[in-house]
Amino acid sequence: MSKVEPREASPDEPEPSKAGTPTWRGATARPPTPDGSPPGTGAAPAALAGAAPEAAPGALAGTPPGTGAVDGRPRPGAPPGGVAGPGAPPGAGARPAGGARGGGRRSPVRRREALVGLAFVAPMLVLFLVFRFGPTLGAAFLSLTDYRLSGEWTFIGAGNYTRLLQDDLFWESLGVTAVYTALYVPMTVLLALGTAVLLHRTLWLRGFFRGLFFLPYVTSIVLAAVIWKWIYEVEDGLINAALGVLGAGPVDFLGDESLVLPSIAAASAWKGFGYSMLILLAGLQSIPREVAEAATIDGASAWQRFRWVTLPLLRPVLFFVLVIEAIQAFQVFDAMYVMTAGGPVRASYSLVYFLYDSGFKFFDFGYASALGLVLFLIVLVFSLIQRRLIGREED
Amino acid sequence: MKTGFKRATVPLALLTLTALTAAGCNSGDSGSAANKVTVWMYPVIMDPKANAAYWDGIEKGFEAAQKNLDLTIEQLPWENRDQKLATAFGSGKGPDVVLLGPDQIPQFQANGAVQPVDRAIEKSRSAFRPAALEAMTQDGKVYAAPIYHTVTSTLYNKKLLDKAGIKEPPTTWDALRAAAPKLKQAGVATLDYSASNEASLNMSFYPLLWQAGGRVFDESGKKTAFNSPEGVEALTFLVDLYKSGSVPRSALTNANLFTDHALGKEQVAMGYTNTPSDAALAEKTWGKGNVIVGPALAGPKKQVCFGMPGGLGINARTKNLAGAEKFVAYMTEPAQIASMGRAGGFFSPRTDVSVPHESAFAKEYEAALAHTFPGEPHPAARQLMALVTPEIQAALTGKKTPEQALEAAAKEGDDLLARQR
Repeated sequence: MSKVEPREASPDEPEPSKAGTPTWRGATARPPTPDGSPPGTGAAPAALAGAAPEAAPGALAGTPPGTGAVDGRPRPGAPPGGVAGPGAPPGAGARPAGGARGGGRRSPVRRREALVGLAFVAPMLVLFLVFRFGPTLGAAFLSLTDYRLSGEWTFIGAGNYTRLLQDDLFWESLGVTAVYTALYVPMTVLLALGTAVLLHRTLWLRGFFRGLFFLPYVTSIVLAAVIWKWIYEVEDGLINAALGVLGAGPVDFLGDESLVLPSIAAASAWKGFGYSMLILLAGLQSIPREVAEAATIDGASAWQRFRWVTLPLLRPVLFFVLVIEAIQAFQVFDAMYVMTAGGPVRASYSLVYFLYDSGFKFFDFGYASALGLVLFLIVLVFSLIQRRLIGREED
Repeated sequence: MKTGFKRATVPLALLTLTALTAAGCNSGDSGSAANKVTVWMYPVIMDPKANAAYWDGIEKGFEAAQKNLDLTIEQLPWENRDQKLATAFGSGKGPDVVLLGPDQIPQFQANGAVQPVDRAIEKSRSAFRPAALEAMTQDGKVYAAPIYHTVTSTLYNKKLLDKAGIKEPPTTWDALRAAAPKLKQAGVATLDYSASNEASLNMSFYPLLWQAGGRVFDESGKKTAFNSPEGVEALTFLVDLYKSGSVPRSALTNANLFTDHALGKEQVAMGYTNTPSDAALAEKTWGKGNVIVGPALAGPKKQVCFGMPGGLGINARTKNLAGAEKFVAYMTEPAQIASMGRAGGFFSPRTDVSVPHESAFAKEYEAALAHTFPGEPHPAARQLMALVTPEIQAALTGKKTPEQALEAAAKEGDDLLARQR
């Protein structure tokens, strides 16, 4: 490529993982849920801290309650991991405990403890401020300007936002994103719940199967998308070859406007369900056995036990997973970039893809920032709904 | 009050002075010393080692020829090239000389970031391919001196043509249409196409448009021109082939790639925008005797293929104009044109120099060079592509007729051009 169009070779072959907003969670790519895990949620954040492969989001998420824990935590010997403390059991809310002990003025020892604690969270806090908070503010400012490649800009107020609301592409991509979310979230959560229940019951080689199911989650998304693209291929893909043997097909999974989103969602669900599975598994394991036993004695069938005992007890965890996956789905980009480039006819052109094009292809940074903030607001609303509903659950 | 102000003035002045000096040092880049010339180069030679070795040699060769000049060639990645250049130009820290393509020039020229190189190529001017110079020209002045030329042409799979009993590779639209049913009977598609949104239209739809005699932009550059009888003819040609299965279905997700796509996998008999490196790869995978490189595809009006020059431009704010011009002149000398083309697999932008190639297809590509068209440079060219591609997809999938698709694309495109500043 670069031989013919050296100029075009650059934006044509960017590394998607670098280029856009990452969709799948790497350690740093975790969606903005800083306030996603409210204080004292019990099972959900505990499971997050316990099961999540990255401690980072846990620590981040825990910052608001964690700060309290830092100055108030009465255990001098507490391991550093406990400092950020989303894993703190709900009852052991650090602030009341600290208040009871300190009873007013802080002793020098406790102040030192606080400083040490702060030192431990400082790297994460600084990273968060510099790479999350700073850019967010920057984007908010950019979204009010018409900043262009030449570096020139003028303040245009809400211009980008009014343009956005009148832009058919915005509504189209919002619709695509919503449909994708509606497909991806149930797929992922059902898959995660199914495997979690199976794993919970399995005693044989449980660790092996858990690892096996988690494996797709830690594969590179670009790699997974490329392989799924091969599987879906219309001329000689795996599925169509199988259909051919059965005398059916070929089905153009990625070329048909009505099939493209379900196909991408299925591939993404395969890639992403491992995370939710681990959280749900932790949730299942935290349900006391006695409850199920009592139900068995009362004569409940396996289905009844699951439906009327396990599921209600699992609800907070399930809800957490639903929201996390929905936020995830709203930021979909990489899979679409690799598999369809948004096609056919923009049938898989998501909000983040639109943002990527506006910013990195058309260098319309102000407009792209406005889009980013709108996406941020959508995700924020999701987080708030989660907070409210789970908070109510606790009451 | 006065003293307070005074007290603040001295440190402030000192600070400003330091900052200025520091800035001055930084822009040592753009040759604050009169004998320095800084060049920004990109990996034009794909093998990184060969690239480094080549430019190292150029540095030494130039400094030996120009004893009083100190040349520095900085290697930059292709990624975010425009962004980095714009930032550097904007802050006055850009290089003296930089590699530019025809599609970059309108934007940078309009912003006053680059200056004409006419003086540097004074002596060799008549030797350049007219089309190559024209591609680098804005308002009658040349803004980049061509140092290499890229080319694409048709590529055929002989095995598949033989299978369908086709002796003469189809080189015109009519011949292609006639060959399609035979190839279909033999179980393969005819024409490779890239309809992905990440594919450049310069290597997919636009060549067909030009072959039909159409244009992307009108003369003023303020309106699109592809929604014309020629445009409809080009798109209809493509859509008919797609509907009859002669353009592979996987075209929708192909982004001008050869490997792992229909052409590379021998599912389709020919491509029409293939690079010399595609041909080299085909030789390896299909076997030597199975690769045919043909002339540029001919449509109803023209025989055109895509190919463009790469050239050297000069920073409008360079502090060493004479040195920069000397380097540009040096790179356009026959010896450098030949060595550059050889190292990078490029062709010559000069009619009096031909690059010695070992490739079996050098002669065919050399012939295609006469039909290359460098595209229609426009500051909004890329944005327009993002609007046109989905409409072409809509026509291919049958959602719209070619007329409806082009009309919709033209409407969106004209809106886009009206928004440009």
